[in-house]
Amino acid sequence: MTTLFVLDVADFRPLAEVAGKDPDVTVRRRGPYLEVAAPGLIRIDRNAVGCRNAVWYSAVAAVKDGRVSRWDKSELVVEPTGAGG
Amino acid sequence: MSSPGQDVLAHTVRGVDHAAFPTFDPRATITFYRDILGFPVVHATCALGWGPGDHPDFIHFFFDIGSGDRLAFFYYFGVEPYRDTGIPDLLHRARHLAIHVDTEDDLLEYRRRLDASDWPCELQVRHETVESIYVTDPNGYLMEITRPLRAITVEDDIDANLSVDALMEVAAEPDPSLEKFFARKAKLISERYAGEPEPVTFA
Repeated sequence: MTTLFVLDVADFRPLAEVAGKDPDVTVRRRGPYLEVAAPGLIRIDRNAVGCRNAVWYSAVAAVKDGRVSRWDKSELVVEPTGAGG
Repeated sequence: MSSPGQDVLAHTVRGVDHAAFPTFDPRATITFYRDILGFPVVHATCALGWGPGDHPDFIHFFFDIGSGDRLAFFYYFGVEPYRDTGIPDLLHRARHLAIHVDTEDDLLEYRRRLDASDWPCELQVRHETVESIYVTDPNGYLMEITRPLRAITVEDDIDANLSVDALMEVAAEPDPSLEKFFARKAKLISERYAGEPEPVTFA
């Protein structure tokens, strides 16, 4: 599973909430993190999240079995790699 | 090399006593910090023949930057001004002193003072947890004044510690990268919180 961790604080929670609207994505809590997982791509639309620049560009805590393939003013995309860290 | 399980060293330091920098323009430095920003002068050491042979006479003067912390400068008499023009912009931006204020009103008041001077605010930016203004002081040193945007939580501290643990590991290996860092940190998170994760619903 492609897995994105974001810290479960008010700044970053909206990313997980937006990601979770995709029916292929599950969001669970692991320790202080929200674990956003999908069998394929995780795609998060910046406008839907609505956060300011610095929060957007500091939102990724960690990535498992995937890599950030796009992270710009429009969207964050984590694509599967199939390999563990 | 992981933080959990390490002996905790007693943490008894109490902030900045003083940070000290050389100045070759004491008049501009005093004007900037005392007269424009309003930082009181709280101490000055006047040393005749005390320094090394090539700069024996100096004044070491201190400005109060709040909470008992101080910003200090050395002015050496008879020394040719030196400015390293070869410093890459990356280093100029990275090396800076950030001074804390509590509120937006305080931040904007310092911005107002700078903007009315010969050293106007160069940048105001809302970072992830702080909002800051930036100015280059008369000596070429980048200075930041910053106010909190939100409280730092225990979750932030846990995350910071996992980040530096992951960085310690990745930086010990060839070709460190952010991609490797994110993967290593995910591994540390999975190990540390190995139980079944809880489902989350958003209200």
